[in-house]
Formats: sequence, structure tokens, C-alpha cells
Amino acid sequence: MKEPIYDQIFKPKTYTLSNGKEVKQRASRTPLVLLVVLLVTVLSWEATNVDLSALRTRGYQFVIILTDMFPPNLNFLNNIWGPLFDTIQMSLLGSIAGALLAIPFALLSSSNIIKNRILNGFFKLFLSILRTLPTLITALIATFVFGLGTMAGTVAIFLFTLSYIGKLMYEHIENVDMGAFEAHESMGLSKVQAFRYAIVPDVLPTYLSVSLYAFEGNIRYAAILGYVGAGGVGLLLDERLGWRDYPSVGMVLLILMVVVFIIERISEYFRMKLT
Amino acid sequence: MIEFKDVNKTYPNGVTALSNVNLTIDQGEFVAIIGLSGAGKSTLIRCINRMHEINEGTLTVNNVNVGKLKGKQVRDFRRKIGMIFQSFNLVTRTSVINNVLISSVPDLSAWRKFLGIFPKEKKVEALEALDKVGILDKAYNRVDQLSGGQQQRVALARTIAQNPDIILADEPVASLDPVTAKVVMDDFKRINKETNMSILINIHHVELALEYADRVIGIRKGEVVYDGKSEEVTQDVLDEIYGSLDNVPKMDDVEEAEV
Amino acid sequence: MNKAVQLQLDKEPNRKLYLSTIAAILIALIIWSFMGVNITGFDQRGTQIASNIFSGLFSPDLEFLFDFTSGGGVPSLLFETIAIAFLGTVFGSFLAIPISFLMSPSIVSRPVAFVTRLVVIFIRTIPSLVYGLMFIRVTGPGPYAGVLTMSLTSIGMISRLYVDVIENLDRGVLEAMTSMGCTTYQKVRYGILPQLFSSFLSVTIYRYDMNLRDATILGLVGAGGIGAPLIFAMRSYRWSEVGSILIGLVVLILAVEIFSNKLRERLVNG
Repeated sequence: MKEPIYDQIFKPKTYTLSNGKEVKQRASRTPLVLLVVLLVTVLSWEATNVDLSALRTRGYQFVIILTDMFPPNLNFLNNIWGPLFDTIQMSLLGSIAGALLAIPFALLSSSNIIKNRILNGFFKLFLSILRTLPTLITALIATFVFGLGTMAGTVAIFLFTLSYIGKLMYEHIENVDMGAFEAHESMGLSKVQAFRYAIVPDVLPTYLSVSLYAFEGNIRYAAILGYVGAGGVGLLLDERLGWRDYPSVGMVLLILMVVVFIIERISEYFRMKLT
Repeated sequence: MIEFKDVNKTYPNGVTALSNVNLTIDQGEFVAIIGLSGAGKSTLIRCINRMHEINEGTLTVNNVNVGKLKGKQVRDFRRKIGMIFQSFNLVTRTSVINNVLISSVPDLSAWRKFLGIFPKEKKVEALEALDKVGILDKAYNRVDQLSGGQQQRVALARTIAQNPDIILADEPVASLDPVTAKVVMDDFKRINKETNMSILINIHHVELALEYADRVIGIRKGEVVYDGKSEEVTQDVLDEIYGSLDNVPKMDDVEEAEV
Repeated sequence: MNKAVQLQLDKEPNRKLYLSTIAAILIALIIWSFMGVNITGFDQRGTQIASNIFSGLFSPDLEFLFDFTSGGGVPSLLFETIAIAFLGTVFGSFLAIPISFLMSPSIVSRPVAFVTRLVVIFIRTIPSLVYGLMFIRVTGPGPYAGVLTMSLTSIGMISRLYVDVIENLDRGVLEAMTSMGCTTYQKVRYGILPQLFSSFLSVTIYRYDMNLRDATILGLVGAGGIGAPLIFAMRSYRWSEVGSILIGLVVLILAVEIFSNKLRERLVNG
């Protein structure tokens, strides 16, 4: 076997044991890795104009905004409810639709269920590409296609959920122990029946748990979608930040935090029950 | 009655799994099949319920030519043959009773099949099967909470609920500790005596095979090299079946790869 | 039917009420969310734009896509995005180390761990765009604001994953080392750090993968990266340019994802 280039440049150390056996220790890769990391850091530093002195001299600006948010503007609460419900509704509808459509996509991607490599590959690639698009960018495109408003946000969340759940589920389905499936076939069940009684009970808890988790994350995403005009509290954030009305921004963030916290607790409770 | 007539089986990669097998097994026999890993034990019993196809010869089970069955006929035929696996092959994330109920799935109406709602009489049958293997009290536990021995008995109950004529067991005790293995073997023996089901077991443990089975079939490289009463198995017979230590097959042998 | 079987049959847990309650709530929620979202189909204009985007994807602005000079082609924009995500991840992971120790109940007392956890939840909930806008006030628009934003937003998740690593440390090694007569320093140096290092690195690489995705959107608020040119191109209907940017983005993120998965596999398997 040919040695990797790295081992040809940096020769492995050889130790001779007292009984005459020779042991080779390959040179450590750590210096190379550190060098690469350092190099990329320097390059990135240059490219992004990082200037630590700016942080020292003007860093207080950040703190000023932060302190301006307190105390939050409680009177702004009445303006928040509408967009907040929009946000929740968008992520709920998008998550449910995405989770439902993810089922056929995951099945078509799983090589142990649909035995067609081309079909599996096509759907896996589709899900991967869909997953690379950040939700905000999908939302931006959706606002052009569906017009400004909650529909665009729902579509963006729907697409992200589809790709996220689809990928996790086909990975899970492909790793399902097919033993029970075999046993059910040996008992005279048809393939469809064996799937229903061997694969579904195994996959269902994971599916529900992943869907809940996706919904949790989607609430966070949905909160910023308004920034590109796709509805929800993001619109308020955009508007109030533009006006430098920081106490109101603080109120929006506070409410958001509470809502996210509550939803996470509920979803965590059910996910615990599912495992 | 199971009848092998000149049965040959070769895997697509050219490895011969069964060669010229001729066997007759009567209803109600308790047969142990012994031999090295890769000798063809697993293939032999999987041909009986057509989980594997044979290439040549005829295999008749209760006057049915197994090779001629098609589609739904295969499934109906399999319902009369139970199968037990080394790794239990249960649905671990659901309850014990749900696993046992699966044997009645083909009898259900379409909507029940889809929703998985079982009628009361099926539930009673399932519970009675669990009672027969002594784990009735675990009926509503999840399978993954049970020990290996208990899981294998759930698998046994699932098979009993099928009410088969024949039970095929592929290394049923290989994953169990010695004490639990005996308990499970006792269950097999009792079922065999009480219900007259034929039982065919592939087994690594020669001592267990000799202790429990009435008849032993020794397989070496796909050929039947011994077929007789378990009391008549001598050291010479075992040497014939297992050969010298040099012949121990590698881990990546056919059977491992196929199963 | 014998008695024991009858008894067991009666014991069957009844989940009908529980399941139907959940189903009812779920259906109510779906109806409610349908009422809130204005379902608008494709109108004429939307279909037109959708087809424009598609044709942009299939006939991208090649000159723009392969402009390797430092001034404004897709490669240089992508490089800027990579750099933002990289520095953000490096800074974030360094900041996360002390925080994660403060969050581990097995290292600090429970109240301290709880308070740190609350602070991190607080940091995590604020959307990255908001941080972006706040940092722009400090540094002015540009990639630097993006780096600061990424550093702050990655802390939340990285420290949470670091805590898992710390809590799951293999204590058997420490026990073995104690039995060999090692000092505390030796135990930390040879027993704990080697375990932490590769797991921390794996977490950091995973987060880099995510940060890259997030870095692409920071441009929307002017914090550098490829987001800003994308939104400009869209607002001025230059679809072939939009196509080039999207292609570059997808290829980059896919490549980084594959690369980081390979790297993490090697880290885990040694």
C-alpha cells in the first residue's frame, strides 16, 4: 500500500522494541491542521476587515441599544398580537404541510423501501438542494412569486420543513432493522402489510418527534421572515428597528422569548413521551 | 410432512448452499439441525417457507409443492408455518400484545388492517398465546423493556398465535445466556408435546440439540452427512459434521452474508 | 377463556380519550392556522416571476458566476460569506468554552448553571438579523458586523452541545488514572482534554456548516456576504444574476456539508 503524501514528507518515527520488533508511529497531523486553521483565520480576518479596536471604541453602541430596550414598551403589546399570531399560524401550517409531504419524499428516497437507485438518488439530491437554501432566501423568493404576506412565509417554512424532515426520515428509515419486516413476511403478510406493521411503528415516534422539533425551530425562523415582507412579527422588528424605537423592539423580543419558551416546553414534553 | 427430494440450491455468487438434500420429516417431530456456520443450516429451513428459493429438486410440505406456489398462495402457505429468529425480529417500539396480534393481520378487514384496530377475539387469542409461554403479565409492556429471553418468548407467542403446523427456528437461543436458553428450549419441547407441531431448530449448541431433539440432522458444506436419532450421535459423528478445526469457515461466509 | 387472560384483557390501557383529545386540538390548530394565512395562489405575475427565476437558474450570468477577481463576482462574494462564517464560528466557539463550563451542573453549582442557561436562552432567542442591525451601529455596514453577529449567535447552540460533551465525559478513564496514581493536573491534561478536544472540534465543525447558511442571510441587513447582492438582483429583476448567486450558494453549501461530514466522521473514528 502506498503511503499518503503527508507520511512521505514527514517520515514516521520508528521504534525498536527490546525483542527486535519494529513499530512505526506516523507523524502527527495536528501541526498541519493548526497551520491550515491559522492560515484561513488570517485570510478571513483580512477579507472581513475585522478591527478589534472598533469594538473597544464603539462597542458601547451595542450596549446602548440593549439598554434602550429596557424597560420594554408595554403599550406596544396591543400591536404585537396580530403579527405574533400570524407568525405562529405560518409556522404551524408550514410545518404540518411540510411534515405530511415529507413522508412520500422520505419513502421515495429510502433505498430499502423503493428499490430504484435512480429514483432514490434523485429525491435525495432534491432534498439536499432544498435544504441548502436558507429559509429567509426562500421567503424572499416566495414574496416575489406569491406577493407580500403570510402566504410567502408559509411556503418558505413549508419547503424548509419538507427538506429537513425528509432528510432525517430517510436516514432513519434506511437504518431500520429489517428483521421484523422479514418475520412478518415469513408469517404470510404481504409487503404492504409488513411495512404497515413492522416499519411504521418503528418510524412513527421518531417522525412525530422530529416534526415537533422542526416546528419549534420554525417559530424562530418565522419570527424573522417578516423582514423580507413575508408576514409575522419580523415586519414589526424591521419597522421599529428602522425607527430606532428600541423599547418596542424590546417588547417584541420579550414576547417572542416567552412564546418560544412555552412552545419549546410543550414540544419537549411530548418528545420525551415519544422516545 | 416435509419432504426434500434431490434439492439443490446455489447462490447467485456461485456458492453451493444445499446439494442433493433428501429428507422426510413427519408431523410432530422435533428435529435439530447442526453444523458449522455457513454449512447451509439456515438456507435449509428458509427453503421450507420459501423465504429462499431452491434451484433444483422438489420440496413438498403437507402435499403442497412449495416451488409451484405464487403470490397470495405463498402468503397463505406461510401462515401455516411459524418462524423464530436469532435476533427475535420483533417490533421493539410497540407493546408485546401488538407484536403477537400481527399474526392475525391477514384476517382483518381493510380498514382494520390500515388502522391496526383488532377485534376482541383476536386479542383473547393473543393473550392466550402469551399465557402459554408464561409472559401474560407483560402483555402491555413495550418490547424493548424486556430481556432477551422474554423477547424470544414473545416471538414464540407470536408464532403460536399463528397456530401453525410447523415451527422453523433459526438459532433461537444463540443470543441468550445458558439458563435462559434452556427455558426457551423447554418451551419448544412443551409446545411440541402438547400441540404436535413439528419443530425444526438450527442450533450451535450440540449439547442442547442432543438433550432436546428427538432427531438430529448434521449438515456439512450443504450436504446431509448425518440423519438419525439424537441418542445415536457419537463423537465420530460430530467429527464428521464439524470436521477438523482447520475447516472452520471464515466470518464472511455465505450464510452470514445472505441472512 | 381462563381467568388470567380475562383479567389481562380488562387491563388494556385505554388511550382513546387521550388520543382523541390530541387529535381534536391538532385539528383545531390546523383550522385556526388556515384562517390566519391568506392562501393566495399563483397569479399571472407570480407565475411569470417563478418561470423567470427558473430560466435564470438554467441560464445564469456566467461572467458573474466565474468572475474570480476580487471585485464583486460570485466567487469573491462567496469567499466573503465563508470568511464571515469561519471567523464567527472560531470566535463563537472560543466564547462558548467558558460559558459551557458555567452551564454544566457537574462542574459548577446548580444555581449558577441555571442562571447561565437562562442567559444563553435569552441570547439564542434574539434573531440574528436583530443582532446584525445592532452591530452595524458599532462597526458600520460590512462583513465585520456579520462576524460579530455570527460569534454571538453561535454561542447558544455551541455551548449547549459542549455541555452535552462535558456531561458525557467517560469517567472510567479518570478512575483508571486515579488508580495509577495520577495528579489532578495529569488527569485533566491526559484524561479530560483529549476527550474534549475532538468532540468540541466536531461540534464546532457542525456549527460552521449551519453558520454558513445563516451568514448568507446577514447580507439582507447589510452585514456582508452574498445576501445583499441577491436581494438587489431580485429587486431589479436581474434573473440571470439571481440564478448565478443561487447556483453558487447551493454548490458551496453542499460542498461544505459533504466536506464537514467527512471531517467529523474522521474525528469520531480517529
